[in-house]
This record gives sequence, C-alpha cells and structure tokens, in this order.
Amino acid sequence: AQNTFGEMMECAFDAQNLISISLRKIQSSRTQRGGIKLHKNLLVTYVLRNARQFYMSKNLSQTQRTHQYEDVAAVREKQEYLELTGSFKELADDFYCNFTGVESDTWHCGAHQPNDQPAEVAHQDASACAMVSPSDSDLMVSEACWSCVDKSSWELPIPNTQTNQKTVLDLDTHVVTTVTNGYFHSDCCAQPKQPQGAQCYAKKRKMDTSYHIVDPEFYLPDFGPVPCKRMRTDDESNLDSDQLDSSNISNLISVLGSGGLSEFVSWQQTDLEQIFATQTICLKHTLLTGSGWTRAIEAF
Amino acid sequence: SLAGPGGDMQWCFSQVKGAIDDDVAEADIISTVEFNHTGELLATGDKGGRVVIFQQEIENKNPPQFRSEYNVYSTFQSHEPEFDYLKSLEIEEKINKIRWLPQKNAAQFLLSTNDKTIKLWKISERDKRPEGYNLKEEDGRYKDPNTITSLRVPVLIPMDLMVEASPRRVFANAHTYHINSISVNSDNETYLSADDLRINLWHLEITDRSFNIVDIKPANMEELTEVITAAEFHPHQCNTFVYSSSKGTIRLCDMRASALCDKHSKLFEEPEDPSNRSFFSEIISSISDVKFSHNGRYMMTRDYLSVKIWDLNMENRPVETYQVHEYLRSKLCSLYENDCIFDKFECCWNGNDSVVMTGSYNNFFRMFDRGHRRDVTLEASRENSKPMQVLKPRKVCAGGKRKKDEISVDSLDFNKKILHTAWHPQDNIIAVATTNNLYIFQDKVI
Repeated sequence: AQNTFGEMMECAFDAQNLISISLRKIQSSRTQRGGIKLHKNLLVTYVLRNARQFYMSKNLSQTQRTHQYEDVAAVREKQEYLELTGSFKELADDFYCNFTGVESDTWHCGAHQPNDQPAEVAHQDASACAMVSPSDSDLMVSEACWSCVDKSSWELPIPNTQTNQKTVLDLDTHVVTTVTNGYFHSDCCAQPKQPQGAQCYAKKRKMDTSYHIVDPEFYLPDFGPVPCKRMRTDDESNLDSDQLDSSNISNLISVLGSGGLSEFVSWQQTDLEQIFATQTICLKHTLLTGSGWTRAIEAF
Repeated sequence: SLAGPGGDMQWCFSQVKGAIDDDVAEADIISTVEFNHTGELLATGDKGGRVVIFQQEIENKNPPQFRSEYNVYSTFQSHEPEFDYLKSLEIEEKINKIRWLPQKNAAQFLLSTNDKTIKLWKISERDKRPEGYNLKEEDGRYKDPNTITSLRVPVLIPMDLMVEASPRRVFANAHTYHINSISVNSDNETYLSADDLRINLWHLEITDRSFNIVDIKPANMEELTEVITAAEFHPHQCNTFVYSSSKGTIRLCDMRASALCDKHSKLFEEPEDPSNRSFFSEIISSISDVKFSHNGRYMMTRDYLSVKIWDLNMENRPVETYQVHEYLRSKLCSLYENDCIFDKFECCWNGNDSVVMTGSYNNFFRMFDRGHRRDVTLEASRENSKPMQVLKPRKVCAGGKRKKDEISVDSLDFNKKILHTAWHPQDNIIAVATTNNLYIFQDKVI
C-alpha cells in the first residue's frame, strides 16, 4: 500500500513504465519463434490492467481536485505528457483501447453532425483499429492521427472513470496522453494529425476489447505473427511480397469485409484508455476508410 | 529425509554432463529431465529437439558404498522444426516434456512432445548380429549363385551393444495451442496431452484420433481469463487427473463423471493475501507445475515464489507452503522487465514423498524436508564439481549486513536458472539441469 504521495507518484511512474514495457513485450512476442505464447501474453495483459487501474486511480484523485469541465486548452496545459522511456522502435502498432464497459453494435460519430446527434455508422470491429504501423505503408495498417471536430458538436457525458478512460500511446510523438473521452472516432478525420487544441467526438467503438493474441484458429494466413514495425529493408520487403499472393489477399479482403478482425490486437478489459474530463481525441484509422484499405491493397 | 545419522543429510557431486564452455548453444539448452520408473534410465530433452538417455551403471552394489554412474545410452533427434504454412508459423522443435512408459518387455518406451506433436519412441538394444548368410558376403555384396556349393544356417553372434531409437507412433494435429504437459495413465494404455486451452486423451496404439476431455476455450476469445498450465494423471486412479491454471487454481477431474470434464470434481484454491497485492499478483500466482505424490494422497504445485503441498481431501488451502526465494518479491518489477518472472520452474518429490525439490536462480536449487521442517539451498556449479565433493549449503542475504559466505540478492545471476530437476524414484540420486549442463548428485556415503 502506498502511504505517501511521493510513493504514489513513484508508483504512478512505475505504472507508466510498466505499460510501455508490457506493450513492447506484446509486440515482440509476435515475432518470436514458435508463435505467440498465449499464456505469457495473457499474463502481460493482467499487468497492463493493473497498471492502468492504478494509473486511473491516481489520476482520478488528481482530477477531482480540478474543475470538471474546464477549457480544453487549459486542461492540456496542465496535462502531463508523460514521456515513456525506452525505445519505441519495436512498437509497431498504435495500441489503444476503447474501454467503455458497454458493448455497442454501432459507432456513434459525433463529428460533423449539425444536429448534435451522434450518427451511427456501420459497425466495424474495433480491433482492426488497433493495428497500425505508422511508418510502413507496406503494411496493412496506417497511422493514427489526432484530429478535431467542431467544438459545437461536442458533447461529453459526465466523466465516468469506470467507462471512459483512455491512455493513448501515440507512436509518432512517443507520448502517452491521458484523455477524457466519451467516445472516440475512427473515421472522423480525413486530415492529417493535428494534435493541438483537438477536441472532437469520437465514435464509440464496439467493445471488442479483448487482447487477442491472434487466436490461431482464426488466423489470417498471410499476416502471420503481425508485421514488425522496424523500417524494412528492401530484402525484407521483397520477402514479404513473395509471401503475399492473390489468394491470400482475397482471404484478407473477405475477412476484413466481414468485420472479422478480432484476430488483430484489441484489448481485453485490460485496456489502456483513460479519459479525462474535457479533452477528446479522435483517432483516425485509415484502415477503416476506403482510402486506407485501398492503400493496403496497393501495397501488395 | 534430509537428516542422516549424523544430522543433516549431505549431497555430493557425482557427475556433470554437457559442454564446459560458457558460450551456450541455444539448441543445447535442456528443456526437460525425467527418470524412468526404475531409475535406471535418465532422459533429457533440449531446445534443439534432441533426446539424450543416460543409463545407470552400478559400480558397487553394496550399501553403504553404493555408487553408480550414468553414461550415455542413446541419443536421437526426436523433433525437427516445422513450418505451418497455413498459419505462417514456425513450430519449435524444443522438447517440452518426456514421460516414460512402464517397461513391459525388453524395450523401453517414452513419449516426447514439442509444442504440437507427441511421439512414442521405442528404445531397444541390439547385441547380436546374424552371420553366415548363404547369398551374401560379409560386406553385403550378393554372391554369384553359381558359386554356392553348400548351404548353412546363419547364426547370431555377439556384437557391441547398439541402442536404437525408433519412432513407433506420431500423435499429431490435435493441438491448436502449445502443448505444456503429457501424462501416462496408470492403465498403461492411455495418456493425456494438455495445451493452453484443451486436454486430450489418447490411446497409445491409436494416432488418428484423440478425445477432448477438457476445453476451457471461451466462445469469445475476448473473455479469456486463464489458461491451462500443467496436467497430470493420478498415479493409481486411472479415472482421475488434475490440471492447473494460470490463475493459481487446480482442478481435479473424474473421467467417469462425464465425457467432457469441464466441470471439476474438486477445485483447489487458496485465497490471495491482499497485503501482497501488486501489479504482478496474477503472474506470480500462475502455477508452473503440478505433481502428484507417489502415494497419490497429495499433490504439489509450483508458482513463481513458492511450492505448495495440497491434501487431495482439502480444497480450500494447501497443507504446506514453502517459500523458494521470497527475497525476489521486492524485485518483481525488474524480473518482469527481464522476463524472468515468466520462468516456469518445475518441482519433484523424492521416492517416499518426504522431501520435495525445486530450482531457483544463480544455479541454486532448494529442498524442503516435509517431516523435519528443514530446508536447504544448494548450488550446481562447475566450481563444486570435484568427485564426491560435498555440497555446501548456500544462503541468500535478503537485506542488511551480509554475512560471510552469504550471497546478496543483487549478486544473483538470473541467467543461471534451474527450471528442471528430477529425483530417482527409489534412491537419493538427483538430476539437476542448469542451462545446458546436467548435474547428478548423490547422498553422501558415510
């Protein structure tokens, strides 16, 4: 038990550290020989959950000392951007989780809605969004981005730490930010990343939040244990293109089309999302947009 | 027990097998150690898919001068690396477990398994060869039949002993997840194999089908909260087996109850001590090994920091708990970072169930004498490898002033880990595997 604030702060830093270490472990497990080890990865997700819970409880006690509905900009200034330590070179994917605690079959996109009604869009398996490889367009997934939506369309429910909590690990800026967000948006932004002053409605994703250690029984044949993030040499790119043939691609298309993307990373209750009051972040996943998908195909 | 006539029992070095140099080839990393039912044979499996069997040769049968030596009996490549093209996955050739079958005839049989495939191997001796063929020369060339003027009966003549290992059965394609355990039933006809989510029952003669007897895979993998970590048949009751989980529970199942043993007959679980709660509570409570006692009344489980003995008649808590290396509790964060916290230590009983043994770091291993409530820490190292050298007990200094001969926690070498140990079924002979060496120790001759 932590008694002093100093101890708690230390632990909070540890929690942050643990989150990054755990993510790295999960990522590196995909390229391990022998396939992904279900047991080990399950245990790692427990550490993630515990670290998140601690982090949430620490941050919750902080926000309780501040006003709940503050100006976004002001909050951002106060916001601690915690730099994660260690090398992120191995982290291939933009891990984020949308832990809502409530399963929803549809997306609620609050962006660009003149009547302030959340629009429902066709369900896409949230887990697809978790697979992004920001630096490598050869791979199927694409970058995460922060974008903003007209503030007037933004409505935020009273923050409930049990349901709307996000820690988003941005691989481009190497920053973990804790944000409060009722929802987040997978398809609301076509523009590139704009992290400053961002607030928007994000789609509420379906709670496909299991950490899927790539269930072998639903394996996509051509993606194997998930592409590695590191910059690929020509040799490697050639190798992968050899592995991908048209039949594999058609398998991929059918799987993506049916929404059966649970084999990609998504988080179990041990998700990483913490949402703080007033700040919303939208995450773009071009995978789910037509353009992203096209890019994916073209890469092959 | 650990106490001899003069007080504490003493162990001395007998032999060490394996390469001497410090540069360890990954293929030589020992991954399993197992005595057969008489203790005459000792098998090891390694990461390279090889099995090496040692045979005991007794130099002096008369106690107390009883001395024996284990020498290489047979070496064979059990498993090769495979590639599953459909799933784009490489299947490691590492031998996860070896289990001997009780001997029925002149040949010996063992089961060896990697992540996906179990094989039944027959190890047989050949010490005679035929000589005096009519149609063949000694070197095998065929004779011109026209030169044969008489007939003779070929005879068997002695030859240098040759030990042959041949795969008699291959049990494949029954496991989607990684196999962690195999266990031969006391009926000597069936055995079980367990992976992360399922347990299958096989007949030793039948390779093209197995029965699924436990399936804990949830309909939605997002709901997965625990995996199977080890499984074993009861030593006498052929209908009973146990399996342990990553959540620290053990389930005892009765195959007579139903075909699918998803409902346990007994659930063994100790409530967690809330004062010990940490980020890593789930990891350190995951059970890495479960072993029935020889008498079938108890079972032992190993989790990261402790060994627990359970009475099969008491489900709510273990009857005994032994701390293996409690001083690591404050280091869990570092051990998580360097992956050591995921190490899967095994444990074993001695022949009369009075002592249990398990490994630790720095090439230390621990013995717990249940009757006398004594424990000892010993070290397997090349420095203590003179013939018959007595092993000196080791002590780890957890904090405060370090006494002479004590080792501080920060000096422990976490790359030197003893995960696999085995105890001779009858005698006080133990086999202890360091990374790539196999140490054999015997109790001291007075």
